[in-house]
Parts: sequence; C-alpha cells; structure tokens
Amino acid sequence: MIGLTRRELLRAALAAGASAAGLAACEREERHVPVSEEWSPGEPLPWRNWSGIERCVPARRIAPASEAELVALLASGDFPLRPAGTGHSFSGLVPSDSALVFLDSLAGVISADAAALSAEVWTGTRLWRLGPALAALGQAMPNLSDIDYQTLGGALATSTHGTGARLGSLSSCVTGLWLATPSGELLECDARRNAEVFHAARTSLGALGVVTRVRLANRAAFRLVERSRFVPLESLLADLARERDANRHFELYAFPHADTALAIATNESEQAPDATGGDDPEAILLLRTLFRWTRALPGVGMRLYDAFLRSQPASERAGESHEVLAHPRTVRFNEMEYTVPAELGPECLRAILAEIRARDLPVCFPLECRFVREDDVWLGMFHERAGFSISIHQFQDEDWRPYFAAIEPIFWKFAGRPHWGKLHSLDAARLAALYPRWSDFQAVRRSLDPRGRLMNAHLTRILGA
Amino acid sequence: MCLVAACARSDDRKPATATQLELEPELARTYQSACAACHARAATGAPLTGNDADWSARRAQAGDALLVHTVNGYRGMPPLGGCGRCSEADLRALVAYMAGGPAR
Repeated sequence: MIGLTRRELLRAALAAGASAAGLAACEREERHVPVSEEWSPGEPLPWRNWSGIERCVPARRIAPASEAELVALLASGDFPLRPAGTGHSFSGLVPSDSALVFLDSLAGVISADAAALSAEVWTGTRLWRLGPALAALGQAMPNLSDIDYQTLGGALATSTHGTGARLGSLSSCVTGLWLATPSGELLECDARRNAEVFHAARTSLGALGVVTRVRLANRAAFRLVERSRFVPLESLLADLARERDANRHFELYAFPHADTALAIATNESEQAPDATGGDDPEAILLLRTLFRWTRALPGVGMRLYDAFLRSQPASERAGESHEVLAHPRTVRFNEMEYTVPAELGPECLRAILAEIRARDLPVCFPLECRFVREDDVWLGMFHERAGFSISIHQFQDEDWRPYFAAIEPIFWKFAGRPHWGKLHSLDAARLAALYPRWSDFQAVRRSLDPRGRLMNAHLTRILGA
Repeated sequence: MCLVAACARSDDRKPATATQLELEPELARTYQSACAACHARAATGAPLTGNDADWSARRAQAGDALLVHTVNGYRGMPPLGGCGRCSEADLRALVAYMAGGPAR
C-alpha cells in the first residue's frame, strides 16, 4: 500500500481543483458502505477479517494460555477448528462455525542466541511488537512486510513478504518450528528433524496444525533510510534491473490512468530520523478525491492528474529497520496479489495498466510491485522462482469484484501464483500446476490431518480436500 | 483552500499516559498487543487513549455506538478492533479504558 507523505501538497492540489470546479471542499471519502451483515448488541459476536468481507460466528473462541494447553485441547476432541491470527488476510482462511483458536497468550520472544543471531519466538506475536522486542536484543529480521498488524504465525502461514531482490519471504527466515498437530502431538521440525513437515509447515495455510513457535534466522539490528520519488513510469521500468540490484529494498507503485510511478529505494544508513518524511496513512483518501475531481474534467483531467502526481516532491524516512519497513495502514481496502516470474514483472505490469485504461476502470489505488528472492518453501509463492509481486487494491467501501475479475486473467497468462492471504479465484487443480511440491504438501497434510479437522470452505476449494 | 484546510486533523496529539480506568492484566495485554497499534500511535488518526479531546464527542454518542463500531469495524478501525478472541464484555472494557469512561 502506498506511503505517500506529501499530504499538504495533495491538499493544495485539491484546493485548486475545488476552486476551479466550484466543488464543495471538505469531502471526506468515507462512504463506509457495509460489505456484509452488521452486528447489533444482543446478537452473538461474529468474527470478521480486517477488511470486513469475511465473516463467521464461531461456536467457540479458544485462547489457550499455554502451548501445553493447546496440545491438550487438540488431543481431547475432534471438533473442527481454524487457527486465527489477527484476521488481516482477505481470503477465507479463517472462517469456521465451529472453533477459532487464537494464540494471543503465546506471544513474545522466548529466547535469543546472540552469537548465532537467532531467536525463538511465539507465533502469536504481532509483527509490530516483534520488531522492538528483537531490537532490544540487538537483532532484527532481515526483511519485513509493508504492514505489521499480523501475527508472526499468520504472516508465515501465508508466505508474507517484503521487497528486496536478495531477500526472501518471512517464511524463508524460519530455521525451526514447533507444530501442534490436529491429533495433539507437538512436533519439533527443522531441516533434519521431521524435515518433510518442516518444508510444508513454513507456509502451511494453517492446514497442518497450529505452529506455536519458530526459530528465526535474524541479523544484527540495523537502520534504514527510505527514499521516495515520483518518476515517469516507463523510464523507471527501463532502469528497473539497475534499481533492483543497486538497492537493498526497491519497490514501485504504479498509478492507474497515469504515466507516473512512485519509486521507493531503501538502504542501510546511520542517518538520524527525519521528521519531514513521516508516514501519512490517510493521504490515499486525498488521492482518491483528486482522482475523482480530475477524472470529471473532460479532455484534460487525466493529464492534470498525472501532472499533480509528478509534481510531488521526494521524501525520506529513516529509523530502525522495523520502523521504516512497516507502515501504518488506517485506510482499509481489499487486495489481490500475484507473484509472477521476476523477469516477466514489467511486462505483466504494463498489461495490467493497459487493461485498466482499455476498460476505463474507475480505479486509482496504486499498484504495488515488489521483488522477492526465490526460496525452497514448498507452498511459498517464491518456491524455486524469484518473484515480482504485483498487488492491486480497491478501497474497502467500494466493490472490488469487477476490477479484480478483469485483471486476474492477466496474472494467469504470466504464470502468476496468488498470495495465500489475498483474494483470488483459483482452485486446487489450477494451484497444483503452479507448485512443484504440491503433492508432497498434500501428503504431509493428509498424514497429519486425515479427517480434515482443519478444513473450512475456502481450504476445501484451494486444497481440494 | 481554507475549507480544505479545515479538514486537516491535528497531528501533534500525544497519547495520554493513563486513563482513569484500569484493565485486568489479561485485558491490559490485549490492549498492548491490539488496540495500542493505533490508539497509542499519534500518526494513525485514531483517537488516542486517554485524550479527552479525542473522546468526549464519541462518548456522547447514543447507546452502544462505540461498541457497534468496534465490532463491525469503522473507517480505519478493523472489526473487533483487531482482537478476534475478545468477548463483548472485553470490548466494552477496552473501549471504556481508551475513552476514559463508558459511553453516556
């Protein structure tokens, strides 16, 4: 999601637009269209995901106080259940009418090895709490996702990632894990012990049991500076390989209906925090207003919009790695993301942007494009393939379906693999063709959960169970 | 331009260090792991815990408006305030803690 930091300039642009068009100012873009059933006091409390499109009313909410309590719970019954993180996933990984398991009590760093720069961490730890906890021990994860509201367990289960051509997904940083199986065993797994389970469980979709703790291969704590600048999209794409290789982290945001992109390069630096580059998570709402106003101007609107974007000044953010890599996201949205082979990324992006223009889709949410190193995680989107991940978003109060349906077939043409936590329409047969170790994962899953205790409707569709 | 400027939210608010209410230890941990992600960060736009200027008008809303918004999600706030395991009673206590008192 975009990290625009020049709210004042956008606001000035909006003011100019309002004056020219005689439009009323102070239009907050918060229609807040309900996307599913609303709760009222007295009704059973539902569970809903972050964007609000997934919902269930579980018969039981279980928050075990300890790992032993969780294992005993699993051993004591055979009711269906689903592990839940913070519910940030857009896909239907969590909903269950039976039981949801929350690991809120299994949170924090268990131990750290200062010499090996590794740490054992409970998977109920929220990422935004993990960064400071590791920093206090002189460690940091090598990379982090753009959003840090998730639990570590949820992020690993979905192969969540950041950006950086030499950096892998969060799952690739796991060197050991403990899995509470559906039958109530606790398996310690790594590349030598229970190796098959280890390779499957680093990104498990929560379909193998409940991963309670992991050992993370970290590095020494470090500081970063993030530099953002608006540039012509085509010139950036022409120079993309150099940008990818020259920066520890590099990502771009492409703006639908515009020829401008936001290029974000992030590198190690001892630079002091710079107050001029603070995050502004609500700038995206101003961008939407600007888009709507300029789009309504016949003939010149989109040229004006593009000129506004290109006039945005560069900005910087600096700080500890976990402070710079993650961004507060307080404007909710729905998202689809596919990872295509890295070398096909620019061509796929161009095809998407062309489709948006050809269909004149009324969308302005920038497309996020990131690089991720290949890994050996069986169901990781980067399995044996360096990836270029392209995310498309729609505001939470707008219908995402026509937009995503129009774009998804383009991802298929480029052999894209969908993000497990985000929206897509693939079923088991099509997913199997994308993952060389699909049948191995399924064999591990069947051996651990032969009765499908961890299945829900979504998993049944995507795993074919 | 001044009309647009009137939309601006002050960004210099600071979270208060405490409210008049206290939380049970488990709920205090829940607050720290879930609610504080936004309600103790000045840059997110969320009403800050214990900041009466942020909460007075919200507390004055009729009925269970704050609770309903919390459960369903409202604007930037995710459903259940990001605490999927919380009960209705938990959410009421957390809202009252952040707002510096129950809705009235």
